[in-house]
Amino acid sequence: MTVIAQAAVPRDVGVFEWLFDPDSWAGTDGILSSLADTVILCAIVVVVATITMVPLASWLAHTRRGEVSVSWLVTLSRAIPTFAVAGLLVPISLRSGWGFEPWPIFIALLLLALPPIFLNTYTAIQQVDPGAVDAARAMGYSETEVLFRVELALATSVILAGVRVAAVTVVATEPIRAFLGGDGLGRYVRDGLGQNNDGLVIAGAILIAGLAGLTALSFRSVERFALPDGVRRLATTATR
Amino acid sequence: MIPLLAQAANPIIRWEYFIDEWDQIRRALVEHLELTLYAVALGLIVSAGLSAIALRYRWTIAPINGFTAFLYTIPSVALFGILVPYFGLSRLTAVLPLAAYTLLILVTNIVAGFNSVSPEVREAANGMGMSPTRRVLHVELPLAMPYIIAGLRIAVVSTVGLVTVAAIIGQGGLGRLILDGLRRTFWTPMTIGASLSILLALVLDAVILFGGRWLTPWAQRGRSAL
Repeated sequence: MTVIAQAAVPRDVGVFEWLFDPDSWAGTDGILSSLADTVILCAIVVVVATITMVPLASWLAHTRRGEVSVSWLVTLSRAIPTFAVAGLLVPISLRSGWGFEPWPIFIALLLLALPPIFLNTYTAIQQVDPGAVDAARAMGYSETEVLFRVELALATSVILAGVRVAAVTVVATEPIRAFLGGDGLGRYVRDGLGQNNDGLVIAGAILIAGLAGLTALSFRSVERFALPDGVRRLATTATR
Repeated sequence: MIPLLAQAANPIIRWEYFIDEWDQIRRALVEHLELTLYAVALGLIVSAGLSAIALRYRWTIAPINGFTAFLYTIPSVALFGILVPYFGLSRLTAVLPLAAYTLLILVTNIVAGFNSVSPEVREAANGMGMSPTRRVLHVELPLAMPYIIAGLRIAVVSTVGLVTVAAIIGQGGLGRLILDGLRRTFWTPMTIGASLSILLALVLDAVILFGGRWLTPWAQRGRSAL
């Protein structure tokens, strides 16, 4: 814990002056490097959650296996106490020789990212018009083709929405890492609280909230541009 | 890195701690419970008001939904942090964000609950000469109850989890044990704080579940609107 460098911000500098000063962003101790810490960890979490959950959920939904209780999964995804889970994992990680970071926060964030992606993929594929699937089968599509060229194609927008929800939640939660022996964008709030420096706390909060908002916005634009016209019409009726 | 010897003397949990530090654990537990109850109670009051507006003036549903969804996406560390300069490291700074996060699920479920009341039932109540207030309280509210309780369960369970994060502003009940253990690299309070907070969420969930069944004996099971 003691090895973490404290972010130094002169108290007399205003929040926005500090945020708009290029010097605050540059260097190994600057905002950009903290931002990179956060973005890289979150990206890995979301990618791992996507490449595990999308195939699993699409296979389960395609074969109509494992009728999941949707409301139960929604409850679960909102109930995961990330801070407590990461707290429980820190001692285990240290005793296993994996260090303070980043395994505990990685696993805790992963738990947070899995449910929305699984849920959206499963329900999206389950709700694909059975008529479309039957038509594809009648045209001689193999099961694999039905899954990839009909079901997944029609489900893309809802799956992407699930990935967006996961990404925004992960980005919004990642800052607790700074309180669990790590760094990342949460360090400014931590250091500001530690130094009793309100300006730094607010600057840190703005950075965190800004990144979360930016994540949501960029996913929404990807969702819009990545879709063919026919699917876009379907997307307007989908939830979330 | 912590030397190996210290690790051997620092087990994941040391059971004597429960007896030696029981006072501290009990205080953390009570504080955790209080923060949860204050936040959910405040959230419920605000949600009831917002839902009433949304149900009375239908066009407000979209903006109210957008507003509560926006609040929900604000990162918790940021929201706690932004309020510190205004309210200090106080209980209010912890309760306001916690309550704000409950609005999305509570408003969604309250509105869905009242929407689930069929128009025939409403007309029957009117035909029996019930006043609007009486109709809402004695007919619509009980019928909406399963939805409201389902929303309340999610709100309470997620609030218990989020209260631990309030430890970063010196509140946070059991979360303080987690932070304290982390600062001293002493695992016992950390493990106790984390496990008890998860246990508390499960217990409160069960309490609301069975309380809800007792309140709505005619309903088979609570449904979530989401």
